[in-house]
Amino acid sequence: MDILYLLIPLSVVLVLFVLIALWWAVHKGQFEAMEGEGERILRND
Amino acid sequence: MNAAYALLDDPQSWAAFSKPFNSVPSPDAASSATWESQVVVQGMHCAACALNVEAALCSVPGVKQATVNGATHRAQITWSAHEVRPSQWLDALSRAGYQAVPANDFVSRQAGQAQVRQQLWRWLVAGLCMMQVMMYAWPVYVAEPGDIAPNMLSLLKWASWVLTLPVMFFATDVFTKAAWRDLKHGRISMDLPVALGIWVTFIVSSAAVFDPDGLLGGEVYFDSLTMFVFFLLTGRWLETRLRERTAGSLEALINRLPQSVQRQTKQGGLETVALHQLRVGDVLQVHPGEVFAADGELLQGHTWVEEALLTGESAPLERHAGDTLMAGSHNLRETIHMKVLRLGEHTRYADIVRLMQSASLHKPRLAALADSVAKPFLAAVLLAAGLSAALAWSTSPGHALMVAVSVLIVTCPCALSLATPAAMLAAAGRLARQGVLLRNVQSLEGLAQVDAVVFDKTGTLTEDRMVLQTLITPQGVWHLNDAASPLPSAVLKLAASLARHSVHPFSRAVAQLWPQTEDCLPMQAVQEEVGQGVSGRVVNDQGQAVRELRLGALAFCQSGQAPCLVPLKALTAQVHLCDDNGWLASFEFLERLRDDAVQSLQALQDQGLKLFLLSGDTAAAVDRIANRLQWPQAQVQARCSPEGKLQFVKNLQAQGLHVAMVGDGFNDMPVLAGAHVSFAFGEAVPLAQARSDVVVQGHHLMAVADTLALAQRTQTVVRHNLIWAATYNAVCVPLAFMGYLPPWLAGLGMALSSLVVVLYSLQLARPPRTNTLATQKG
Repeated sequence: MDILYLLIPLSVVLVLFVLIALWWAVHKGQFEAMEGEGERILRND
Repeated sequence: MNAAYALLDDPQSWAAFSKPFNSVPSPDAASSATWESQVVVQGMHCAACALNVEAALCSVPGVKQATVNGATHRAQITWSAHEVRPSQWLDALSRAGYQAVPANDFVSRQAGQAQVRQQLWRWLVAGLCMMQVMMYAWPVYVAEPGDIAPNMLSLLKWASWVLTLPVMFFATDVFTKAAWRDLKHGRISMDLPVALGIWVTFIVSSAAVFDPDGLLGGEVYFDSLTMFVFFLLTGRWLETRLRERTAGSLEALINRLPQSVQRQTKQGGLETVALHQLRVGDVLQVHPGEVFAADGELLQGHTWVEEALLTGESAPLERHAGDTLMAGSHNLRETIHMKVLRLGEHTRYADIVRLMQSASLHKPRLAALADSVAKPFLAAVLLAAGLSAALAWSTSPGHALMVAVSVLIVTCPCALSLATPAAMLAAAGRLARQGVLLRNVQSLEGLAQVDAVVFDKTGTLTEDRMVLQTLITPQGVWHLNDAASPLPSAVLKLAASLARHSVHPFSRAVAQLWPQTEDCLPMQAVQEEVGQGVSGRVVNDQGQAVRELRLGALAFCQSGQAPCLVPLKALTAQVHLCDDNGWLASFEFLERLRDDAVQSLQALQDQGLKLFLLSGDTAAAVDRIANRLQWPQAQVQARCSPEGKLQFVKNLQAQGLHVAMVGDGFNDMPVLAGAHVSFAFGEAVPLAQARSDVVVQGHHLMAVADTLALAQRTQTVVRHNLIWAATYNAVCVPLAFMGYLPPWLAGLGMALSSLVVVLYSLQLARPPRTNTLATQKG
């Protein structure tokens, strides 16, 4: 179980990275206009 | 090219809907090469439309990026000022079939958007960290003592501590800042116990991480802390969303007027000018689908308009030449020409916006009231928390502090303070969508207590508009029905010249008989005696005042200097005209009962209300109406002066009745002010002057019954809310005090209790399913 001594700090670092990614997403407006992006793929151009 | 768009090519106008697109803000914004603009796109129905709009915009060379939000119908365009002008991409948009108007509230909306993003960010931080902290806490909960090695335990505590830091820095700042701001101003608010609870928990748990053998013990509460913050933020997030839904119609109303209009030049051509360049008297061309920029008169043609947001009347209305058009309403069918009568501040649209803004300004006062009640309560909460900590201190100081935290959080009177405003705002929002404006949200309380309704007749039970039935002059009698003989123009011109100075329904009817306002005779010393009549002196070509004219009730005309002998056959007519030499004419008008008068009175009676009818009109005219409505004789009074009406209402109040007065807002000022609550009713109420509590726009009398019924339902909802909030606190406080309630559960309870209050209040915001809502009393 010694691997936990590595995995737990790693999980902390991982969460911090996810937080950074979320910060970017929120402040770039990625959560606004949620429907439009999904239908972009149906566009015929 | 659309000429309106050409105006937008002037760099001076860009700042209104754009901002320079630079990562570093340049001091000279106008010289910026790249701009970011926002426009509101009309005619968008679905997400596919959003993609079409984007494609159309991106096809223009020089447009670097275009993103469209399908929900808000807004497009954000990044473009290079060296390569392209706004008119070019706006044109591309109209070729694709979409009209766009610049979003002039761009800057203020950006501030709002930043706030929404910040709120979302806080919520995500709290949520993510809560989940991970819970992962570290879980093994400790399920393992037998001794199963986990001590250094593994301390590693888990450290990991939890690290992931609680973002929550403390990014998510809880909203509580801490608010509590600190209030403390600095010597106030205690609901954020204080929350902030205190958060920080006490954090300090106790941090002490356990760094010094497990210290005074506060080795127990950590990071899972409770993060969960509590997450629940609280979730509650706030949902609350904001719900509130936006109930009070959102104001924004739709404010952003209505077009920024540029087409004006007719002297040569008969058309020019496109900005709204602020318009002057009263200008002639505008308005296309179908456009919004009228000013109050005015339809000059020629015939069209249909939609005034839903202004009057609550959702059906299209027909407008003929000579009819009034309202700023902010939509032209639906034909291209028409209108003459501008009132602009900007003076339009009815501006009045409505002002009224709605002032009604929403009353909100802080309501919140302040809640805060003042909360103050002694909060002091008691702090005391109780301290006491509970002191009692448990001897067994374990760390545990004692956590009990105190639970007490702090669970007693927070959020639900209690939301109980009243949440319900009232929901009700006021719904009324506003139906064209019923409350001057002040609190008047809903007064409305709920009403047990007698006093109606004025003219303009209330009957329509504002009068139809001329008979005209009697010394030369003869004219009937409306025989169109063969034209009405005598000289006497009409005299009467209309005087009548147009008054807004009384009779005066307006007389004034309409002579539509050529430009060749009306100039008048001097015009005086109106409320409810009686209007007098003035005709000015001749030399500018001297010559003959005095009096127009009004019989008694008013006879009170002039000259004897006014009205022939017997004209005595029953409503309006008489006389001058220094005596009687000139009598006008007899026919009133039209409102379409829904019978139905509304029935609905009011079903609500158990006593109904009274007061009128300044003759007994015969009032009886005619009363008979058609089957009104009991005892509750009808004719020939009331304004003072008489006030006296009548005072007598009712002396009998212990709560009286609502429904009047047209012109002649009933004293009695409207004297009643407990008052409705100003009718299409032409001068909003700025109306001192009534409720302004009913449009012409549905049913709105009175609906408003009273909704006020009663609001009262019921408020009562339920208060009972629920008080019960919640009464049950949870003893539990927390005895230590049965961990902080996370306290937080969940607090967030849920507030949400229940808001959700329960939302039933008031739903529009009525049928027109007979008023009959389902409740």
